[in-house]
Amino acid sequence: MNEPHQGEFRITSEHDIVMARKVVRDAATALGFGITDVTRIVTAASELTRNIYHYAKSGVMHWRSLNQDASVGLELTFEDSGPGIADLEKAMEMGFSTGKGLGMGLPGAKRLMDELVIESTVGKGTTVVVRKWLKK
Amino acid sequence: MALESISVIKLRDLLLVTVPPDPDDETISALQERVLQAMALYEARGLVLDISTVQTLDSFFARTVAETVQMVALMGGRTVLAGMCASVAVTATQLGLTVGNALTALDVDRALDLLNAAPSGARRV
Amino acid sequence: MKKATNTPSKSPATVLGSEESFRLLVEGLKDYAIIMLDPTGHVASWNAGAARFKGYRAEEIIGKHFSCFYPTEAVQQGLPEQELKAAAKEGGFENEGWRVRKDGKRFWANVIISALRDKDGSLRGFSKVTRDLTERKQAEEQIQQQSKEIMELSTPVMQVWQGVVVAPLIGSLDSQRTQQFMERLLNRIVETNSPVALVDIMGVPTVDTQTAQHLIETISAVRLLGAQVVLTGVRPAIAQTLVHLGIDLTGIMTRSSLSAGLQVALDILNLKVVRKDDSR
Repeated sequence: MNEPHQGEFRITSEHDIVMARKVVRDAATALGFGITDVTRIVTAASELTRNIYHYAKSGVMHWRSLNQDASVGLELTFEDSGPGIADLEKAMEMGFSTGKGLGMGLPGAKRLMDELVIESTVGKGTTVVVRKWLKK
Repeated sequence: MALESISVIKLRDLLLVTVPPDPDDETISALQERVLQAMALYEARGLVLDISTVQTLDSFFARTVAETVQMVALMGGRTVLAGMCASVAVTATQLGLTVGNALTALDVDRALDLLNAAPSGARRV
Repeated sequence: MKKATNTPSKSPATVLGSEESFRLLVEGLKDYAIIMLDPTGHVASWNAGAARFKGYRAEEIIGKHFSCFYPTEAVQQGLPEQELKAAAKEGGFENEGWRVRKDGKRFWANVIISALRDKDGSLRGFSKVTRDLTERKQAEEQIQQQSKEIMELSTPVMQVWQGVVVAPLIGSLDSQRTQQFMERLLNRIVETNSPVALVDIMGVPTVDTQTAQHLIETISAVRLLGAQVVLTGVRPAIAQTLVHLGIDLTGIMTRSSLSAGLQVALDILNLKVVRKDDSR
């Protein structure tokens, strides 16, 4: 498998949401994730990319493969310089949304992935890192 | 991808729309537009949304479909979602997504049977 | 406990000289790879065990950097350097992981790296003791694979008629098992194009809130596909528990026995069973 182990994708237009899905689908499939896990990862990426486009207008998604002894995983990082999230706890509640009825992005992604780490500063931006490990 | 890529087929008094494999947000919104136009034009009593090739069903898609179902209902029609694939069903359930009052069917044939059956034979989600 | 009171003519130390005997011990040990690294991680000494596990002779490996024993992904992630740093900081470092032999083959190693310091505390180098645990790892993986197979065997999904699949659940349902069951059930429903799935829980000993949630999730997923679940084998005790727990199963069809569930399935499919010699 000579696939690259990491990459970057800039998000600047609405159409980039579906392009990001394709990038993530290819990466997850290349790593050996089964179809259901690929679907989970792509759906989580779709939610988080859409968050970037709608709240921050632009941002970047990094992806890289993870290797920890016997385990293989995929890590996606979503960064933007948008308005940031004031109340992180509330944002992680299911169904919460502040505009465009866009709730569910973060809690949804958290349910679909194995790990989710989020850092956000109001006025500066947000970074969300999600990881999923291949189950043996 | 936009308005032109969504085709709505009229089958007697029913509408059939085949959703492409990975539609972008614009296409999904366009789908809603085209469906409502067709509902008005043909006074259809039912809509079959063939999602058998759809690979990702995120919250935006689900929300738009749920809205469309409601709008179609207001215009006098019932909607059936046909052919969802297993991995999408698992993910959608894990996300807690619903598709409003849409009926569901394993494939387009069964969806058409459903809409042509007597009302008492219909099953709601 | 008797105290040995022999007066040997020569003490062991004088036979060989303690440092010499220790060196012979370490060098001759075939079951453990014991090597020394200089402070920068280059191989400074080699023993029989190391030659056996890693495939290099002493002459060809001394002076090389120890990262050559690690798989490429580990090197890319900087793992060897991290391990040395950890050993230097904490005094010692132990972990398990894949290592690579000279011929490229991998083996599963248990490694202990210790920092060697002289009296004034300055780092002289590292000792590295490696054990080959590949066999144990293979046994572990085989057990995992077998557990997986047992799980699959214990939650089969069988097509009993055109349009009907039956899934008898035996045993308790934890999150992982339910997830796997749900995927298998959904895939079978799609494969066999079956609008009805009978999920029999007669063999599920107890139902707590979590199990009930899992079942409800599974039933929702089946609905999204366009099929429906009939929950069968609901025993009196389970029925009581579900009501007491306040679990809402409205909209979900349930029956006390699998055969009653089968009758429901036939009704849904508009089928009926007729005796062969029935002249009517």
